[in-house]
Amino acid sequence: MSSTAGQVIKCKAAVAWEAGKPLVIEEVEVAPPQANEVRVKILFTSLCHTDVYFWEAKGQTPLFPRIFGHEAGGIVESVGEGVTDLKLGDHVLPVFTGECKECRHCKSEESNMCDLLRINTDRGVMLNDGKTRFSINGKPIYHFVGTSTFSEYTVIHVGCLAKINPAAPLDKVCVLSCGISTGLGATLNVAKPKKGQSVAVFGLGAVGLAAAEGARIAGASRIIGVDLNPARFEEAKKFGVTEFVNPKDHDKPVQEVLAEMTDGGVDRAVECTGSIQAMISAFECVHDGWGVAVLVGVPSKDDAFKTHPMNLLNERTLKGTFFGNYKPRTDIPGVVEKYMNKELELEKFITHSVPFSEINKAFDLMLHGKSIRCIITMGA
Amino acid sequence: MSSTAGQVIRCKAAVAWEAEKPLVIEEVEVAPPQVDEVRLKILYTALCHTDVFFWEAKGQNPLFPRIFGHEAGGIVESVGEGVKDLKPGDHVLPVFTGECKKCAHCKSEESNLCELLRINTDRGVMLSDGKSRFSINGKPIYHFLGTSSFSEYTVVHIGCVVKINPLAPLDKVCILSCGISTGLGATLNVAKPKKGSTVAIFGLGAVGLAAAEGARISGASRIIGVDLHPNRFELAHKFGVTELVNPKDHKKPIQEVIAEMTDGGVDRSVECTGNVDAMISAFECVHDGWGLAVIVGVPRQDAVFKTNPVNFLNGRTLKGTFFGNYKPRSDLPSVVEQYMNKELEVEKFITHKVPFSDINKAFEYMLRGEGLRCVIRMVDE
Repeated sequence: MSSTAGQVIKCKAAVAWEAGKPLVIEEVEVAPPQANEVRVKILFTSLCHTDVYFWEAKGQTPLFPRIFGHEAGGIVESVGEGVTDLKLGDHVLPVFTGECKECRHCKSEESNMCDLLRINTDRGVMLNDGKTRFSINGKPIYHFVGTSTFSEYTVIHVGCLAKINPAAPLDKVCVLSCGISTGLGATLNVAKPKKGQSVAVFGLGAVGLAAAEGARIAGASRIIGVDLNPARFEEAKKFGVTEFVNPKDHDKPVQEVLAEMTDGGVDRAVECTGSIQAMISAFECVHDGWGVAVLVGVPSKDDAFKTHPMNLLNERTLKGTFFGNYKPRTDIPGVVEKYMNKELELEKFITHSVPFSEINKAFDLMLHGKSIRCIITMGA
Repeated sequence: MSSTAGQVIRCKAAVAWEAEKPLVIEEVEVAPPQVDEVRLKILYTALCHTDVFFWEAKGQNPLFPRIFGHEAGGIVESVGEGVKDLKPGDHVLPVFTGECKKCAHCKSEESNLCELLRINTDRGVMLSDGKSRFSINGKPIYHFLGTSSFSEYTVVHIGCVVKINPLAPLDKVCILSCGISTGLGATLNVAKPKKGSTVAIFGLGAVGLAAAEGARISGASRIIGVDLHPNRFELAHKFGVTELVNPKDHKKPIQEVIAEMTDGGVDRSVECTGNVDAMISAFECVHDGWGLAVIVGVPRQDAVFKTNPVNFLNGRTLKGTFFGNYKPRSDLPSVVEQYMNKELEVEKFITHKVPFSDINKAFEYMLRGEGLRCVIRMVDE
């Protein structure tokens, strides 16, 4: 047992007091884990666009003060009652969506949308008692997606922790706990391009580049990157992207441009922007007879997805995915192994690194579109 | 070779001279088959809604006079140059969509949309010379879907002719050359429900009931039939349908009704009406995480499929299918075998039978919504 087991830990956390305002490094109290919970010492964390989106809290139900962060790597400090799968010292990746292993979704081969622990962006407390484990002078600080990794210590439900190979460098594999796995899995688990096939990836941010990386690993012959920002193409080549299309450069709809480039359409398309228009284009650009389009990006508006049903009748398939269809506890350790055996490359996603005290730089970089992933080193 | 090989055949055909007017039994001349073509003697044929739709020719490019018909069973009379896979006497089903076996689609495991021979509802002539093989006093009568089975003899491209077990009764298996296979394959090849799963079928006409039959064969535990016409419910039980839902009986959207009945949604749904609202309901009624909806029914030109994209992001899949995803020449013979070994039941789809001279009765039954399939016999019994 660690020397702090069962006690409140005082440590640093980056607290968001208000929407859109820089985070403030504060001393917080972190209560010990309750039943089915684990307290984790976070060593490295990174910023994902979903953190930014809820920190901006535009038009949502804002919940502040809050500790954001959900992409991270850490070590188990202590476990609560009933936790048998993890112990002190285990290397873990917290995940914003969990796996209870008992519900119909967890038991289904096809789903990773656990009934108990699937992503909940509204909830700011722990399930066990409806309260938060973070406080400052007795005042509660809310959790975010059950992870809250912008803190030296955090408390997480055991179902939301993936136990990984302790030899894996946490400063690299921390990015697998969200964005990279989301894109990678969208391609490898859902789109499943065959060797030699053509793949279009819409959106060349971290998720799209991870989808492209998946297509590269799968042996796609052509990986066509679609983005409105031409500055992204050069970087994208490192991820296997072979050609670049900017919809702004063409008068005709981008799906027509892609169909012309590929003799009728690509074999697979993966949509990683969240733009409804891009979703429709991604679907309509796949080849009839066998094309599959996979939607990844989360839409910000309430617009409807629309297409002519003939596009379905001529044998196109449309799927959506969540977290790359990976079951967090069951599958993420295997993704870490892909990195360890050099099949998957991660370093190229990490463009910046800052100490915890400078966490707001990570937000600046993302808001200015200047980074793929910025690693935040805790305890520095 | 038959004694008529190489010669023009004079025979009876049911000719549609004008849109929506009763067909007239005429004597037509049927030219011999050219390169890659086959001349068939049709023994049995059936009416499918697609024949009716193009015979009505509302708002389309009408092409008349025309010989309709595309669900049929027959025997090869003679073959044109280059045809090796068939010979006179072979038992065959003509199919409205073909398989050249050479294009990217035919070579793909997943597609049955042959580039050369996929369904073409506009064309009324043969590919090799752009002309019709049917004429009356030298005046051309147009083909339909490359089959034109409402004729005692017809000429069809080799890629659109399926050679089947000669022991299979053609008066039964003729209906496998369109509607029944379309529905059956939508379930067996595309929706692929697991044993014990739940399936919703939208539209309980022949195609929908064939989809239900596919779910029955797959061992689905619940097959929920959805239709606006309560008179269709009576027959549905024979096809494995376990429960019936009429959207008119409910105020809330049908997808919500189905989700409530099934603890969150069905595992699979198959949409067989062509109505775009039913397509949307069929998609939205499947369970999140693993649900799959398959769209079969052909929509109107101006239809728009619309849904909240979150319905995809939480793990629902949407697929469409054409002709049950069966490659006609490669796959239909095995569907006939499923009937021969009693896995698939076909007789229950055949509710009416008429002689060729009464072919217009088949249209009347269909327009009144009576029955499922009416088999038209070309030969006297």
